[in-house]
Amino acid sequence: MLNFIARRLVNMFFLLIVVSFVGFWIIQLPPGSILDVQIQRLRMQGGNLPESMIQALRDRYGVDDPFYIQYWKWISRSLQGDFGTSFETDQKVAERIYNRLGISFGLSLTALLFTWLVAIPIGVYSATHRYTWPDYIITFVQFLGLSIPGFLLALVLLIMASRLWDQPIGGLFSPQYADAPWSLAKLWDFIRHVWIAVVVLAIGATAGLTRVMRANLLDVLNMQYIQTARAKGLKESTVIWKHAVRNAIHPLVMSLGTLLPALVVGETLIAIILSLPTIGPLYLDALRSQDMYLAGTILVMLSALLLIGNLIADLLLAWVDPRVRLE
Amino acid sequence: MTNVATGAGTATTGAQIISEDDVVRVEDLRLSFYTTLGVVRALNGVSFNIPRGKVLGVVGESGCGKSQTGLSIMQLTPGRIEGGRILFREFNTSEEIDIVKLDKNGPEMRKIRGNHISMIFQEPMTSLNPCYTVGHQIEEAILLHQTQDKAEARRRAVDILRKVGMPNPERIADSYPHQLSGGMRQRAMIAMALSCTPTLLIADEPTTALDVTTEAQILDLMRELQHEIGTSIMFITHNMGVVAQMCDEVAVMYLGRIIERAAVDDMFYDPKHPYTISLLRSIPRLGVARGQKLESIKGTVPDPYSTVPGCPFHPRCPAAIPGLCDTVMPDEVFVAGSRTHTVRCHLYT
Amino acid sequence: MATAAGELPKVAKGKKQEDVGQIPQWKLMVRRFSQSKLSVGALIVLGIMYVIMILSDFIAPYPHDVLDSNNSFAPPTQIVWGPEGPGIYGLKQELDMERFQWIYTPDPSVIYPIRFFVQGHEYYFLGLFPSRLHLFGVEAPPEANARIFLWGADKEGRDLFSRVLKGSQISLTLGFFGVFLFVVIGSIVGTASGYFGGALDNLIQRLIELIRSFPDLPLYMALAAAVPLDTPITVRYFLITVVIAVVGWTGLAREVRGKVLAFRNADYTAAAIAAGASHWHVITHHLLPNAMSHIVVVGMLAIPGAIGLETALSFLGLGILPPAVSWGILLRDAQTVQAVVTYPWLLIPVLLLIITVLAFNLLGDGVRDAVDPYA
Repeated sequence: MLNFIARRLVNMFFLLIVVSFVGFWIIQLPPGSILDVQIQRLRMQGGNLPESMIQALRDRYGVDDPFYIQYWKWISRSLQGDFGTSFETDQKVAERIYNRLGISFGLSLTALLFTWLVAIPIGVYSATHRYTWPDYIITFVQFLGLSIPGFLLALVLLIMASRLWDQPIGGLFSPQYADAPWSLAKLWDFIRHVWIAVVVLAIGATAGLTRVMRANLLDVLNMQYIQTARAKGLKESTVIWKHAVRNAIHPLVMSLGTLLPALVVGETLIAIILSLPTIGPLYLDALRSQDMYLAGTILVMLSALLLIGNLIADLLLAWVDPRVRLE
Repeated sequence: MTNVATGAGTATTGAQIISEDDVVRVEDLRLSFYTTLGVVRALNGVSFNIPRGKVLGVVGESGCGKSQTGLSIMQLTPGRIEGGRILFREFNTSEEIDIVKLDKNGPEMRKIRGNHISMIFQEPMTSLNPCYTVGHQIEEAILLHQTQDKAEARRRAVDILRKVGMPNPERIADSYPHQLSGGMRQRAMIAMALSCTPTLLIADEPTTALDVTTEAQILDLMRELQHEIGTSIMFITHNMGVVAQMCDEVAVMYLGRIIERAAVDDMFYDPKHPYTISLLRSIPRLGVARGQKLESIKGTVPDPYSTVPGCPFHPRCPAAIPGLCDTVMPDEVFVAGSRTHTVRCHLYT
Repeated sequence: MATAAGELPKVAKGKKQEDVGQIPQWKLMVRRFSQSKLSVGALIVLGIMYVIMILSDFIAPYPHDVLDSNNSFAPPTQIVWGPEGPGIYGLKQELDMERFQWIYTPDPSVIYPIRFFVQGHEYYFLGLFPSRLHLFGVEAPPEANARIFLWGADKEGRDLFSRVLKGSQISLTLGFFGVFLFVVIGSIVGTASGYFGGALDNLIQRLIELIRSFPDLPLYMALAAAVPLDTPITVRYFLITVVIAVVGWTGLAREVRGKVLAFRNADYTAAAIAAGASHWHVITHHLLPNAMSHIVVVGMLAIPGAIGLETALSFLGLGILPPAVSWGILLRDAQTVQAVVTYPWLLIPVLLLIITVLAFNLLGDGVRDAVDPYA
């Protein structure tokens, strides 16, 4: 087992090197750089900009370096924990990312928990009551959940929240709590601000997972060992929850690996609507302003998150299913 | 679906063999499947009994309803039981329970399943849950029906694993199903089925998926344990050779009906129904003239969605009587001079 | 005995008299598909949408990109019955100084009639045939502010109905072509990888592993952002299609590879190879037909996601860019609570997007159940 993990970690390391290379290459593809935008802005503000100053800026940001040198500078600094300085704000990239990554992560994990707690029971109910009215209704709601864009749902909830319940709109905190130390009141304020994001994030994922859970459980219920369990005289609920669900849960566990980064970035649209300072909008801004160090770092970080998520999913899977354990 | 055979099915009249010491009496059992393509009448009035401590073989081609008969006794069939009775009497009681009347998933039915009646399935590779150890799955049944004590259940599980001939039963108990071979898994299934010393064991083609040597070992084992525990067995198979080896009595099924029923020797030496005769001729035997072709039954089992008028076997029957067999369903009757051999064929009425 | 004979007609009356085994495969699929009422409904809805899309330039009364400050956020036009049939009132525009928004009041003095099959702005039908014919239009003198806004107008006074129709030309097709492209790539690469194996297979699997090491949406976003901003719209359309395909093909390729590997080892394939069949023959006659149903199902189920993706990218300003119009662009107007509450008609494109994606999901589900009932 340890051997397996070690092998996976080594594999992951090499994969990440390639990923960072390719990722950085994609990010720097568009012609021009944020420097052009910056120079434009400086010119508009301060009139004429001496050529020497532009050159100094170009040198400082390494804009004229060939791609592989830019990459080398970026990656060697990254490995030391220094992700470079953002073009746009002159802030340290690491600082900007960490600030937001925490919020993104918290939101995503909460949404993930919510998703699982809702998707599994509903999927099980839907599969065990196939072709009944509740099943049809659940199926339809699932399709609706899959088809309604998250940001629309966010919008609707926002309207309802602000009109019906006089809830705060957007941001993480009300102004009076923004800089206050953590307290119960601040926590409550925080929850009031972010619950919409959690619900919206969770609904899309829940609809998908419920569907997967239903299909898997239907497959498993046709298995011979389910008959065996029934033939033992077990209660139907034991047959379902102990013998069937455990076998049907694999794809859910496996999807954990992709779900985490998907949730972290999936909120891009939602975060824009809800004006939440998370990683998604930051990434979008970086891409649009061609801030390649910032965008590259986020992309590679998310890839690392995906790979780590996959590893965790594999370990969980081995724990759930003894057959995987031996391979 | 009813016909005159219904009369024969209800104990007192007709040819039903009555014994005071039956563990199960199935009377006129009818079962249907409602599918999107139509209604399939899987069982059309099946009646038989299983005597205490005996092995009844149920034989027939695929799709004749033999597995569904077994599943009906467990109330595990996905189809709908439309009529008939399944009377079950456990060890040392005179009280008969009609299984059909019990709630499918109710506590009475669950108390019977795995405890008084247990079942082994055809596919040993898939009939154990891959997520739990073999020991755990056996203990589950013991804890449910026999004892609350976990250590005791564990001891009994290891005991029964030893009894079914597992080498190193403690280690086997801690193994997962995928770590065992097919034969081992089937032994584990038998252990699980016998763990509560059931009155009746329903074995649905338990050796079909195994190779010949393993099959022989498993059959020996079942026979041995059957003598030791005194369990009655309903042995479902399509293999006449296995029947000869295992069974005391045989019932031959065709399209959801029992068409012949006899003691195993009578069935092999004096078969009556043309279907049984063809079935027996289609097995290769030693001592039969060399160079003679093995017979096969012409035609195939009719489409399950349609109904054949008259005797269901007449389109394939070499001895079919035109005008009679294709219009009238024959009754179940005793073969002349016997009180144990019944047949459902116009040749003997 | 009478009962035995008497029940026969009852069974014969049932509609399934055909022997199930003799019905051709495609007929069984159609039969299974038509049993799912939701999927059939979805197919009809989509059929109507695509017909409207093809005729969109003819149906749209106005060009999608003509600005009109006199009708900024004009509400959906009220249709009245005049002396010459249906018609509309002209609008009077006033500024509400308190809430700082335009207020429109209909002027009931004149009814401008709605005419059918009128001459309007020029367009190219199907991109080929120049035409000026439009399904309907309002007959009004140029100085009157009488334009028909079935679904209201946006901030720049552009007719939302015309814009939605124009946007459907991109939104309903781009995702579709993207999926088509990735199905083709995925099938070819997957087949090659599974059939030839060896170094090629190894290389392809490494490539797939690399692509899948990136999280989907961020990768889509990065690739879309790599398309230069000044690319002309037709090229941009094509490149965004490629972006959707480039990331999407990997999953399908893996599945096709698995199928091909399984069928390659099947006896009938071995027999064909033993009989001297060429690689091409084996692939096209023995491997692809077997994987086809799976490929079709995967493709069908991927379409709604691809349509949503195009919309999301355009919404984020990385996909289709103005002045071109897709539903994602239209959604940008509907992103604040303020706008949606004040001008609810801005949500119409969202509604259409939901209907489209929902219909494709239901259709894909029905097709899967019909083609591959055991999947």
